[in-house]
Amino acid sequence: MDLFRRLFTQSPSKPQDKPAVSDSSRPKETAPMEPPSARTAEPSPGTPPAVETVAPTVADGATRPLPPETVISTSNEHLSFGQSTDVGMVRTTNQDTAYSMFSTSRSADQRPDFGLFIVADGMGGHHDGEKASAMAAHVVATHIATNVYLPMLRGENDADRMPITEAMISAVQKANTDIIAKVPEGGTTLTAVAIVGDLAYIVHVGDSRVYLITRDGLEQITRDHSLVQRLVELDQLTPEEAINHHQKNVLYRALGQSDTVEVDALTRRLPPKSRVMLCSDGLWNLVNEEEIAALVMQHNNPQEACDKLVALANTHGGTDNITAIILQIPG
Amino acid sequence: MPDTTKFAGMGGDSSSDSSLQANTVLKSRYKILGVVGGGGMGTVYQARDLNFPDVRRVVAVKEMLNPTSDPALHNSTLRTFQREANILAALNHPAIPKIFDFFDQKDRVYLVMEFINGSDLESLLAKTKELPVEKIIEWSIDLCDVINYLHTQPKPIVFRDLKPSNIMIDSFGKIRLIDFGIAKIFDSGVKKHTMIGTEGYCAPEQYKGDVTILSDIYSLGATLHHILTRQDPRLAPPFSFPERPIQQYNPKVPDGLVSVVEKALQFEPANRFQNCEEMKAELEKLRLQPQIVIAPQAGRGTAMAGTDFFDNMTATGAIEPKWKFTAEDEIRSSPTAHKEMAFVGSYDTNVYAVNLTTGAFIWKYASHGGIASSPVVDESNRLVVFGSEDNTFYALDYRTGRINWSYVTQDKIRCTPRVAHDHIFVGSDDGHLYALAAPNGRFRWKYQVGDPIRSRPYVTNEVIIFGAETGEVFGLDLDGKRKWSYRTRRPVNSSPFVDVNEGICYIGSSDNNVYALDASSGYSSLRFRTNGPVISSPVVEGDLLFFGSADGTLYAINAQTFREKWKFTIEKPIISSPIVYQGAVYFGGTDEYFYCVDMQTGKERWKFKTNGPITSTACIANDVILFGSFDKTLYALPLVN
Repeated sequence: MDLFRRLFTQSPSKPQDKPAVSDSSRPKETAPMEPPSARTAEPSPGTPPAVETVAPTVADGATRPLPPETVISTSNEHLSFGQSTDVGMVRTTNQDTAYSMFSTSRSADQRPDFGLFIVADGMGGHHDGEKASAMAAHVVATHIATNVYLPMLRGENDADRMPITEAMISAVQKANTDIIAKVPEGGTTLTAVAIVGDLAYIVHVGDSRVYLITRDGLEQITRDHSLVQRLVELDQLTPEEAINHHQKNVLYRALGQSDTVEVDALTRRLPPKSRVMLCSDGLWNLVNEEEIAALVMQHNNPQEACDKLVALANTHGGTDNITAIILQIPG
Repeated sequence: MPDTTKFAGMGGDSSSDSSLQANTVLKSRYKILGVVGGGGMGTVYQARDLNFPDVRRVVAVKEMLNPTSDPALHNSTLRTFQREANILAALNHPAIPKIFDFFDQKDRVYLVMEFINGSDLESLLAKTKELPVEKIIEWSIDLCDVINYLHTQPKPIVFRDLKPSNIMIDSFGKIRLIDFGIAKIFDSGVKKHTMIGTEGYCAPEQYKGDVTILSDIYSLGATLHHILTRQDPRLAPPFSFPERPIQQYNPKVPDGLVSVVEKALQFEPANRFQNCEEMKAELEKLRLQPQIVIAPQAGRGTAMAGTDFFDNMTATGAIEPKWKFTAEDEIRSSPTAHKEMAFVGSYDTNVYAVNLTTGAFIWKYASHGGIASSPVVDESNRLVVFGSEDNTFYALDYRTGRINWSYVTQDKIRCTPRVAHDHIFVGSDDGHLYALAAPNGRFRWKYQVGDPIRSRPYVTNEVIIFGAETGEVFGLDLDGKRKWSYRTRRPVNSSPFVDVNEGICYIGSSDNNVYALDASSGYSSLRFRTNGPVISSPVVEGDLLFFGSADGTLYAINAQTFREKWKFTIEKPIISSPIVYQGAVYFGGTDEYFYCVDMQTGKERWKFKTNGPITSTACIANDVILFGSFDKTLYALPLVN
């Protein structure tokens, strides 16, 4: 790197040179990845953009400030996660599948932190349930690695790549097709969260859940595709009646059900210090939301929190397979 | 159906435990010809009755497995089956297939019945594109009739499982009810493990165990809803029919039929028809009204009085502009308003300031080139700023039109500037994005793209986002360094819209797509494909995203899922950007019309004809809608609801 470029890229990192409004909101060290065009750009003038007005002009409605909590940390910290799954106290096989991968790097080429977390809860006899959930998780992981993660590593970001949500949805649809072809008697739920930077891309089919847990409490982000949930939403059942309903295990949407599957997809920006939990119904059926929220926020080690939650579900009876993945967002 | 006959077991002996081989003879009398249907509770075979050696008498044989191994339970299940079969055998209705025989053999039971040559409604739906509404009304009447026959038996029979696959249309086009719930005897009903799939047609109370004749009415409503809309309820959340209004999927369905189906589909049994006679009577009224047959063609003619009112208004020119202001050449860019003034640029090289209430001329400023950039007001510096095709960027005192400062680039400026953080961000055809200090025009930095920038930058506290002729979308930090770029396949002249709460940027491209990008990283999450370049800039209101396309369509899609909510099509490309105001979307078309469309439904409220294509995006201020047209005119329409 020649002197000019170094000067150019380093100058804005002096604290006093930074624009006031973005001072607290950007990483201390912008990785010196430089657009090719910057070489031909004029050198930064002695005074960088003097953005003295902290309050942005809202003249044309363009510049409402981002809410402060969406700003990711400035430290070297990155996401940490825990994963735990257990057969429970009643079943003889564990038909749940849990999958976690997380990648973070420090390099001259800026690459965002990337994570993929999946919970799939299989159903069907003759080992079909565990085959279906395993297949679902691995097909989705493969598809996302190929279409999202590897292009990202290669620094490709263009319209030749599948947009992330589209890739997530098509991954789930591919898993569905594969299950119908290869495990025709099996079915599975599937809940997957991909993390790119501080943005979570969530896809969901069935009654496994994603919770967002902050100091303010716990929010269920996904909606169960279960008959009783639907009856509750329509005021045909009370939540209490739903807990013991004889058809509480009936899903109206799952993988392996029909040739096409509608996939719920949403994106959420994750507040600093928040937790994201993916879990199967073996956990949320037996550990209530207050217990979950309290236990998750008490622990700074997400693995420990996962283990404790699974143990708690077991002490409550462990009637089903239990799976939990917890992501701890830095901040 | 004979044409779909397939022979079980031919693929190998592994399936020998499930289906009977062809040529198997049951009870020395029924020679199996092949499988005609099956799955779930049992298999249906086509068989030949050997009691009639001289003729080919074909029957249907339904086979059900009695899975209980406990002998006592086995026998009680068998007795239930025999009782039910006897009841069916005693029924006598043209829409109910005749039962000839029933028997058990090992762990299976068999029901021999009339073979119906035809197609069930589910396959018929798959095979056809459209079924005539009059035909569906006829079938509905016949269905009410046969269900009523069941319900009025000395011991009323609830069918329980009415759905398209249980309704056959025979070779005479008449409906026949098949697959009575008899098979359910062999289903334990206990669901220990997670199960997939709900019935889709069942009434809510059936899940509480209350099954009455009113549940059949719900299922009949559900079945009709499916046939009319072609939206399979099994693929939708249970009981979600109200979310799929029938006429939204099939505008040919008359209002009367919609009300009948909606009444049958009430959650509360007490709000449905109380018996099939009632429902049938309502349906028969529809049949007696000849006009329902022509209803589909009626369309606009039978439109609501309100719509007529607007149609007439425009036809007779009843929407009179509050005022018009005429320039000397085309107005391609968008006007803006501030306080009591409106500003607009024209290809006649001038930017004009006129009185917002009267349209009276206040001042004009002449540049040396056409104005394709839209003027923008910087309130804190009391400026109106814009670029010109004379390569120069101008900042005028908006009150007087006197020049405050200017900045010269190397090529034409057709980009609309953005004022933010006391800076002006503007692109030039010279391939650079410029950041200039708003108070004095001092150069801060420029970012080189290499190709013209006509997309208006969007600036948040973290990032400056804009598109370029190179096909790229750029995210720069505030000191002009690239954070990210995203490459589409064609030039990006659409301007980004950033939902700052979610940090998502929406932008169109000439590659026909609209993209959702993470504003902080540039990674795309979704795209929506239209059939033409998207030059129009998207705008978000509530959970909807609106934009126009050169395919002549204005799209409203869900901003989170990118699923289409509605679209509104005109005959020429839509280049201008929509604006949303009080539940309505306003935009101009190159077909010379200016449109007002309902934001939720996409229905036209009114349109206004100008004498030239409209590429100008409207601006609403002080109860007037301002927009320019290629007919050189700046229009101020009154805001009517």
